Amino acid sequence: METATSLKDHRVLVGNRGEIAIRIMQACRKLGTAFTAIFTPEDQESAHVSFARKYGGDHGLYKVASYHDANELMAVADVAGCTAVHPGYGFFAEDFRFARRVTKRDRKMIFIGPSWKIIRELGDKINTKRLARSLGVPTVPGSDRPIYDEMEAENIAEDVFDFQLQQGVAHPLVLVKASAGGGGMGIEEVDDIDQFRSVYRRIRNYAARQFKDEGVLIEQRITDFNHLEVQVVSDRSGKNPVHFGTRNCSIQSTGRQKRLEVAPGFDPSVIDYSFDSKKVLQDIVQYSLTMAREVGYDNVGTWEWIVTRKGEPFLMEVNTRIQVENGVSASIARIKGRDQVDLLEEQIRTGLGEPLGYSQEDISFDGVALEYRLIAESPENNFTPWVGTIDRLRWKEHPWLSVHTQVPKSAYIIPTEFDPNLALAIVWAPNLEELKKRGLEFLDELVLYGHNNAGDSMQNNIAFLKEKTSSILKF
Amino acid sequence: MLNVSNLLEQIKQNPYREITVYAPHTGVVTFENIKPGDEVHGPEGQWKEKPGTKLATLTRERNPKPIYAFEKGVIDKVHTEYENAFVESGCPLVTIRHHLTREEVESIILKQALFLFRAPERAKYYFTPEVAAKLRASDFGSVVIHDGQELFIMSRMKRELPLYYMGPEGVIYATYFKPNDNVDTDAPLIGVCPQEELPNIKEVIMRVQTEWQEK
Repeated sequence: METATSLKDHRVLVGNRGEIAIRIMQACRKLGTAFTAIFTPEDQESAHVSFARKYGGDHGLYKVASYHDANELMAVADVAGCTAVHPGYGFFAEDFRFARRVTKRDRKMIFIGPSWKIIRELGDKINTKRLARSLGVPTVPGSDRPIYDEMEAENIAEDVFDFQLQQGVAHPLVLVKASAGGGGMGIEEVDDIDQFRSVYRRIRNYAARQFKDEGVLIEQRITDFNHLEVQVVSDRSGKNPVHFGTRNCSIQSTGRQKRLEVAPGFDPSVIDYSFDSKKVLQDIVQYSLTMAREVGYDNVGTWEWIVTRKGEPFLMEVNTRIQVENGVSASIARIKGRDQVDLLEEQIRTGLGEPLGYSQEDISFDGVALEYRLIAESPENNFTPWVGTIDRLRWKEHPWLSVHTQVPKSAYIIPTEFDPNLALAIVWAPNLEELKKRGLEFLDELVLYGHNNAGDSMQNNIAFLKEKTSSILKF
Repeated sequence: MLNVSNLLEQIKQNPYREITVYAPHTGVVTFENIKPGDEVHGPEGQWKEKPGTKLATLTRERNPKPIYAFEKGVIDKVHTEYENAFVESGCPLVTIRHHLTREEVESIILKQALFLFRAPERAKYYFTPEVAAKLRASDFGSVVIHDGQELFIMSRMKRELPLYYMGPEGVIYATYFKPNDNVDTDAPLIGVCPQEELPNIKEVIMRVQTEWQEK
């Protein structure tokens, strides 16, 4: 292990791209920690590249063949003298082999994320399910390992259908998910066992093409639910995990990808729920912290939950990484009364070995916040990504608004190699009504236009976000 | 009707292609004993199993990766300024002047003779499983496609969409894309030959085979 003792002695390799790369670099700058960024040819116009050029100094930026190539990251880390690697989200963020390699190689570095053993334990959806069940934490019924055999898959699907019929579910549904997938990709539902085989084959083929792994999971599809999250932060001792509250991520695309997130997860002060929402929030926080303590969780992570209309919570999975929507939790959080909380800063600081320095009692919450994901896509056409050039992206500054984007001020061709996310806008307000008002104000003031090869105007999800703003936090 | 003689004459006026060999990834580069004017060869053997002339070695994470010439030609430039230096991905290492082969000339001429179905957008393309299976099981140039047929899966940003062939009925005579590689907008995906035109295409191939002198 390197002998660096202070944050200023470290150099962090930013193993990611786009807005998260910028936020990691910004957090490093706040901490006085040097950084090294990487980019691929497709990203040469990205603002994360110009940011690194401007603030990275010597060894601040390297061109690599792929963000997915661990050898590239290690080679750059060595030549730049990095002492730690921040994987961001996606790519290597939840790859325990990568995390293990970073910490076990001859020139050892710190992986800024949970320890590789924890990623291995909780990154496996099936393992997480088993651990949760052993601690009395409720989980969704379904397969307890990836399935590769068609007959076996069909048998499990039949069992899950039968289970739902026994439970009195009028229209049982089964979810077929690519085991190696994530972010809502590679998921389809089946309402008729006769259709199962064709859906199974489609997902299996998709999984083989996209993830090089044919394994699928088969689960009960719970309809009519809210998608909640608990944000957990812990230091390397793994002994004192704290939570930074809950988020509601129920507003998603038809492909179940998040589009609008709100913190906290429910707001019983102004909305009537058909269940005790305050208790549900307390329960999922306690369940999450119980699991975090059990495994000695030692960095930033998110526990993802389904909450049914009856107020039953089911653990879906644990994301052993920082998430896109971390900023919405930070926005309402106060540490010892201090605002401007930055969870990336907390992650890097504790990841590099600093103690947390506060306990749950020191964390308070103020107001509500939402995050809009601005995406080049067509919501009315099944959220199909739009490809083309962004000619202009501008917004009006407000004290209650923060915008994170990799889109530069100049024209920007959206790379087709990655997700079409353009920007994240985080809005804070003292209460829900004001939040909706400010959210709409931001969207109304937003300038976003572009064109494609055919000369058509760009498509985006602004109208979708406007429409959904009125219903945030409603079940 | 395609004027093959004219096309061949045009190509003969400049029968070279400049090939730049780039660093495929980061690493420390050490060049072989090569200099401008040296002749190099590309992969050889029945299955191209013998690599071309070794140009350099790129060492990354203690893994030495030999960089071979992938075409025959004459070295035009060696970027010796990078000797023993850490280079970024995409860094130019060697430039080779390559004399076009029969196959390349055939490909150039076929692109003029065949109906080219082009990529509507920059994306990754795959044949549908049914078409891919047919291509695997059938003889070359025997899979017939027709207008409106679901032929490809277009994949970008992990979202997949069906892509329907639009063009004359015919056989898939040439495939210009590789699965998992991005194809730029308007780049050809396949070359299609109407069945009644097949004898003409074979004639074109014969002409190139007999008239093009390889160096």
